[in-house]
Amino acid sequence: MRTIIGRQHSLIRNRRGLSNIIVVVLSFVILLVIVSNVILWSYQMNQLDWEKMEEAPNVSSVARMTRSSWFVTQSEYRVNKGGRTSGSFIDTQIVDGSYESFREASPPRELDINDTFSIDLAAFPQAYIQSVEIQLQYRVDDTGEKWFLKAFNWTSRTYSDSGFNSTIGHTPISGWNTYAVNLTGKWHSYVWNDGKVLVKVHDQGPDSTRTNIDINFLGVRAIINGTTLTIQNKGAYTAHLVSIWVNNSTVHKRYDADVFVNSGETFSYQLVDIPLPNGQYALKVVTERGNTAVYAAG
Amino acid sequence: MFRMWWNKRAITPVLSNVLLMVIAVAGMSIAITATYVITGNLHDTMGERFVAEDVWFRSGSIAIYLRNTGKMPIDAAAVYVDHTMQLFTPLHLDPLEHGWLNMTFTWTASTVYHIKIVTSRGTQVADYYRSPT
Repeated sequence: MRTIIGRQHSLIRNRRGLSNIIVVVLSFVILLVIVSNVILWSYQMNQLDWEKMEEAPNVSSVARMTRSSWFVTQSEYRVNKGGRTSGSFIDTQIVDGSYESFREASPPRELDINDTFSIDLAAFPQAYIQSVEIQLQYRVDDTGEKWFLKAFNWTSRTYSDSGFNSTIGHTPISGWNTYAVNLTGKWHSYVWNDGKVLVKVHDQGPDSTRTNIDINFLGVRAIINGTTLTIQNKGAYTAHLVSIWVNNSTVHKRYDADVFVNSGETFSYQLVDIPLPNGQYALKVVTERGNTAVYAAG
Repeated sequence: MFRMWWNKRAITPVLSNVLLMVIAVAGMSIAITATYVITGNLHDTMGERFVAEDVWFRSGSIAIYLRNTGKMPIDAAAVYVDHTMQLFTPLHLDPLEHGWLNMTFTWTASTVYHIKIVTSRGTQVADYYRSPT
């Protein structure tokens, strides 16, 4: 024990090798700084390059989008004149074999129903809507009178068809009929700020026959001038699309994008704000990592 | 107290130790600063990445849309068309930023040009581009 303590004391007093140790330790610190600053950074940048190489976006199709999807009623029709005989509003949401039936009232033998439809303005902002279309698919047992579609005019506070492309009504034939009206440039008067459209279906007026009407479909959609892209990510990493370019011989137009496409997935991207030019054009998408996918059309 | 003031037998070793310590600290500081400066430049250069998203041949000029995909800010320092330096509007892009780099250039239709963009740290992006007909 005494020997050990004695050697410890002598080691502390003996400083001949201490400076060497300090120099080595400090050099090691400098080396560590260099390694951490350069080698680790190099590793990070290599990883960035590797990720870029592994990313493989592909634009598989580009199509003009002229119509939104249909917006159908989410509540039961309000019957102002006449009555409901069978079915429910759910039967009028898609074109299929199921329908909702109504019957004109006993004299004066009229039918008047209305309901609320909501255009999704988050997906189809008003700024990009060119017009609105209402479509009715119906069947009647009396082809002798016309049927009318009207919408609530928020300016005049009445149901109206003023400004519609057709105001003369629709004369049915036997079997299923499709009647569509376009609200033209006057659609602003018929769509509320939240996208609400109130639609009315009514007959021509009192007549001698008490008509039954089956409604297979009634819906509203926006007319737009947009683009639908189908983007495939064949790479191993998620692709973040940040730019979309639509180029032709005269104009190169860039649009901001913010879409993530998972590895191996195909994504359909609807762009209401990107009109496609006529003739030849190239559509390019650019990812955040700097990869580009090009689709040539026209 | 008076005696201790006049007793200078231990002053020299203390002074020499302090001086050595100051010299050692100063030396290390210089060494570490130099390391930071040297490796910092290397680090910045290694962190530069950018891509040319689009090249648009306009009337009397060429516009190049650049995106900084790296981890360091970049400054366009030179643009060469067929190995000849061209005048261009200065462009600074922070990471993830993007913008047009415009240069005055009289191009001819249906001609292939080699365009090279060089940053202030020396990173280059170059490719061949055909002008429209």
